[in-house]
Amino acid sequence: MQPNTQLEKTNQKVETTPAEPLVQQKDRWAFVHEVEKLPGGENILDCLQCGLCAGTCPTRFAMDYSPIQIIKMIHLGMREEVLSSSTIWVCSSCYSCYSRCPRAVDITTLMMSLRNLAMKEKIPVKKEIKPKFHKTFYEIVRKYGRLHEPELLMKILKKSDLPNLYNNVKFGWSLLRKGRLKLRPTKIGNHAELLAILEKTAKEEAQ
Amino acid sequence: MKYAFYPGCAVHHSSKEYGESCRAISKALDVELAEIPDWSCCGAIDAVYSYRPLSSIALVARDLALVEKMGMDVVTLCSACYYTLNRTNKLLKENSELKNKVDAALSSAGLSYSGNVRVRHFLEALITDVGLQRIKERVKTPLTALNVASYYGCFLVRPQYLTSFDDPEHPKSLDDLAEALGASKVEYYGKIRCCGASLQITDEKVMLEMSKKILLSAKDAGANCIITACPLCHFNLDAKQKAIESKFDVKIDLPILHFTQLVGLAFAIPPKDLGLDKNFVVPNKILLQYARSVA
Amino acid sequence: MLEEPRIGVFICHCGGNISDTIDVARVKEIIGSLGHVKLAETFEYMCSNPGQEMIKKAIDEHKLNRVVVASCSPRMHLDTFRQAVKSAGLNSYLLDMINIREHCSWVHDDKEKATSKAIALIRGAVERAKFLEPLTPKSLKVTESVLVIGGGIAGIYSALELADKGYQVYLVERNPSIGGHMAQLSKTFPTFDCSACILTPKMVSVSQHPNIKIFTNAEPVAVKGSPGNYQVDIRIRPRYVNLEKCTACGECARKCPVKKPSKFEENLGQEKAIYIPFKQAIPNCYVIDKDYCLFLTRGICRICERFCKGEAIDFTQQEQVVSLDVGAIIACTGYSLIDSKLFGQYNYGYHPDIVTNLQFERLMLQGLHKPSNGEVPKKIAFILCVGSRSTATNACEYCCKIGCMNAIKHALLLDKSVPGAEPWIFYTDIRAHGKGYEEFYAKAREHHTTFIRGRVAEVVPKGNSLVVKAEDTVLGKQIEEPFDLVVLSPALVPNISTKELAEMLGIDLGPDSFFLEVHHKLRGVETKREGIFIAGCAQGPKDIRETTMESMATASKVATFLGRGKISVSPEVAFLVPDKCNLCGVCIEQCPTKAIKKGKKEVTIDPISCVGCGICVPVCPKEAIDLKHSTEAQLIAQIEGVSREGDTSPKIIAFIERMTAYGSADLGGQSRRSYTSQVRLVGVPSTGRLGIKHLLHAFASGADGVIFVEGDDSLFKEDQLRERIIQLKKDLGKFGIQSLRIQSITTTIPQFEKIMSLFDAFVERISKLGPIPREKREELEKYLKGEQIATQHAT
Repeated sequence: MQPNTQLEKTNQKVETTPAEPLVQQKDRWAFVHEVEKLPGGENILDCLQCGLCAGTCPTRFAMDYSPIQIIKMIHLGMREEVLSSSTIWVCSSCYSCYSRCPRAVDITTLMMSLRNLAMKEKIPVKKEIKPKFHKTFYEIVRKYGRLHEPELLMKILKKSDLPNLYNNVKFGWSLLRKGRLKLRPTKIGNHAELLAILEKTAKEEAQ
Repeated sequence: MKYAFYPGCAVHHSSKEYGESCRAISKALDVELAEIPDWSCCGAIDAVYSYRPLSSIALVARDLALVEKMGMDVVTLCSACYYTLNRTNKLLKENSELKNKVDAALSSAGLSYSGNVRVRHFLEALITDVGLQRIKERVKTPLTALNVASYYGCFLVRPQYLTSFDDPEHPKSLDDLAEALGASKVEYYGKIRCCGASLQITDEKVMLEMSKKILLSAKDAGANCIITACPLCHFNLDAKQKAIESKFDVKIDLPILHFTQLVGLAFAIPPKDLGLDKNFVVPNKILLQYARSVA
Repeated sequence: MLEEPRIGVFICHCGGNISDTIDVARVKEIIGSLGHVKLAETFEYMCSNPGQEMIKKAIDEHKLNRVVVASCSPRMHLDTFRQAVKSAGLNSYLLDMINIREHCSWVHDDKEKATSKAIALIRGAVERAKFLEPLTPKSLKVTESVLVIGGGIAGIYSALELADKGYQVYLVERNPSIGGHMAQLSKTFPTFDCSACILTPKMVSVSQHPNIKIFTNAEPVAVKGSPGNYQVDIRIRPRYVNLEKCTACGECARKCPVKKPSKFEENLGQEKAIYIPFKQAIPNCYVIDKDYCLFLTRGICRICERFCKGEAIDFTQQEQVVSLDVGAIIACTGYSLIDSKLFGQYNYGYHPDIVTNLQFERLMLQGLHKPSNGEVPKKIAFILCVGSRSTATNACEYCCKIGCMNAIKHALLLDKSVPGAEPWIFYTDIRAHGKGYEEFYAKAREHHTTFIRGRVAEVVPKGNSLVVKAEDTVLGKQIEEPFDLVVLSPALVPNISTKELAEMLGIDLGPDSFFLEVHHKLRGVETKREGIFIAGCAQGPKDIRETTMESMATASKVATFLGRGKISVSPEVAFLVPDKCNLCGVCIEQCPTKAIKKGKKEVTIDPISCVGCGICVPVCPKEAIDLKHSTEAQLIAQIEGVSREGDTSPKIIAFIERMTAYGSADLGGQSRRSYTSQVRLVGVPSTGRLGIKHLLHAFASGADGVIFVEGDDSLFKEDQLRERIIQLKKDLGKFGIQSLRIQSITTTIPQFEKIMSLFDAFVERISKLGPIPREKREELEKYLKGEQIATQHAT
């Protein structure tokens, strides 16, 4: 090969480190396809990035990434960033975005699926209470067949946050006075039946 | 008219007055509600679903299997339960792989569910089956001086693939009901906005902000009260109203009624039977006036 | 057979393109020995002058009455050879051409196999040639007049263009005046021409043109006839005002006591029950709205009648139907705006200050004001893509195409006319793709239009203002901005009558519900039915410039169609076999061009409308229909010839539709995409021509598998093909033949790879199945013979 005399002449410097690609090519579509298989992710590639979801979202103000950004990040295969975002935990499941989405992207259900994925993979969450809530809720329902709110709160509220704890106890007291709080849980009659079902599904989920 | 009745945990515990008022008006309208024996929690929207999707579906499938044995439609008072039960039906219908897994789990408890239970919100059953005309006929004290803001929230009108009995952007079932009771309806911003119920425990700050917008927009529009069709929405707007007032330093003082309580008032059912004493925001002057006229 | 066939076969070397792979000498020897073949010749270039001379001379010397040319694709040289035989005094339909280049020598490497396949293909052609009949294209005089349906700018433009060329034009408009939506507009983008100023002179020209007759308040109700000679019934609704007598003085309207919302003002103004749609209306004549007129609804009043000095009011007017004879029809029925109420979050219909862009045009012309209180709005939001680019039910997946430029135009107009105006445009993508459009967009930015990239989530009335909520996707921030007025850009949808009209005209609608053109690029204003053309927004959203351009193209196409004075119709059409039809009507449903009509005692096939696709032939339970130049006899002879020849196994017959699919296989040949030589191609007008009988003949005489290759744009639609194949599989089952032995595929021309790989895979599959046993073939043959005898007895 001829030496590149042109380059020598102009004495140009050759950049030796290539530009860092936004996403690694081999993983480029892996996350998209993974999401497409999740409930709510079916139409993810149909998104035309109009931004209506972000405009309509009532908890947008508390999110680090807007819903449209989350979808863009999925398109680009930014798996880690998506699963560690606060967005998926701040979504209040109100379905406003889906309801108005011109491309029928079921973002709300997708957020649930993404929370599930993040929990499965134990991705660290800024607010620990979030996954703890879901886990404890499930355990209580498993234990009694119904929710028992005092127990849920006692288990997930930070014991160190005294003012918050105090507020909750005070609020609990006012509920109790109105006869709207039971201190003891209600366990359903045929609890064994429920346990048999959940044992089977838990096994399935563990696979 | 007879329905299987799924109260859900909130109505069972923290929103007892919703169940009480519901039973009171049902009696007045000859609607029979048969509580599902040994019903379990629905998993509360995504509380269980996000953590254990299959378990959450199976949990509800069990409830639906119990209803199927009863051989009637199931009604619920809670919009979240309404959503969760309907979602289960839809998923089981569309996803055969999931259905097989759930079937296997149910059969381990000697149960089976063929997917034929129709899940309905009590409000919808009231309007379509009983009809506004019959409700109107039953009214004893028309609520003429009352400006009612109907609050629909999320799951009564969304997502459209699960619920279609009302318009998602301009719903009118609650407004029609209020008008049938003699009250005037109030148009306001918050009508179909989310109250943040699912964030109530884990993100109270965000929830309070969301509920505040609803309350203030109804008050600005001149409402005397808000009616709700979901115990979770009611809890946020009513029981948490004080917290909102102190956090944002605003005066709201807007009574929040379960729609069943409003119907009960118009039917001249004693306030105590409607559990009105259990509401947090003390019903203001006008409401008291109706309560008094009843007494 | 008319006379004893004397066939000459001419085999081309194509300068080695064929002869390098195919042993032409052997082909000549074997073909030459076939019965009725009087002569077989080979030549270096059959298409050259000496080659053609050779054919002519042979016809003369050997008294040939059939000619088979084995060479390249007939798509290349069919006309060349038809001319050659014609000049030798032979009817050009007595020629058959068989493709041994693109479909043989170019796609196979094995000389032995390629030669054997070439012999089989030619033998098929020879067998077919025995049954060829002389045919003559029909020539038909056309009616030199045109019906234009729709009096908007598209109709006006094409009518004027055709009238200027000397054609009689009938312009039919459903509304009381021509002019369409363009009459409602203020200015036009990107030039700021006043819409009325450029439109109304054209309207006047239309009304004064000696070659144009206008029918308003009218619409077509029935279309009969065939290309070049249509009869159309036009229903004219009564105006209750005499067109000749009315002077448009307006005295009637001044006295009329009934007010109603004005359609022309998009309900943002009122007019009387007797009204003129707008000042420059054509015809310039008042009209009575029968739904509002007190006399017509309740039998009282008649004040207008009393005050009309010209005695123009005529309550005795009745609906009438006139019949028009026309050679061609242009459908240009335009568009409507989608109902913005379908998108509840924008609160259209819930607040008076939320309007559509068409309503905004009227507000501008009325003197801009807020409908709620008459104040001049300063801060105005333009919301784009309302119901467009959406997959939601009731919405439109396509782009409305005019929303962006229209909003930019409005923003710039505001800048000129309202001091301190603050236009905000909320967009998804700005589409500025026409001449001068990008510059127009830039101008709007320079004149302080605020552009927000984000589709609006909702519009909420709040106190005196309307709050627009959206995400600014560039900032990544939710914004809630108050406005005085909100203007929506709704999707464009075809007018309500479009579907009905398509059915009446026998033309197709696309998936977007607009009229469908024959080809997106090459035949953009023609429809599948000859003599019926389209223009303007009825074909799809477009702006005024595109509409006028297209209208002129349409007019030009119509003029070409009518200009020859007569039309030549291919003789390759379906015909009825005498005395067999039992009037069941199955064929009528199947005919894609509505060429078959049922009378009281007989079914007739219009040879002008028929395109010769042959779909009707196999569906007839009585075998009462046949197709010229692809008759049962010709087709079966060819199938048998191709299937019998040679001893390769398995043998596959691929029936290939003669336009697109054939072209695709040709392209595969040109690209030298080699595939198995066991597949032998037989061209058919469409695979819809084929029924169970043809398959049985193929299997009986040596085929082991059959493929249908259909063009993607064929009149034999993909789902019809699928249905036909399912039926054929069932029928084959009855004869004990596995359904796996038949397969279909649709293709566009460039997709030849898909056909070729199917060929290879199919041969592999059939190889696994093994050949059809000899006993089975004999059984089929016996059955077919019996069938033949039975049919002969029946006739």
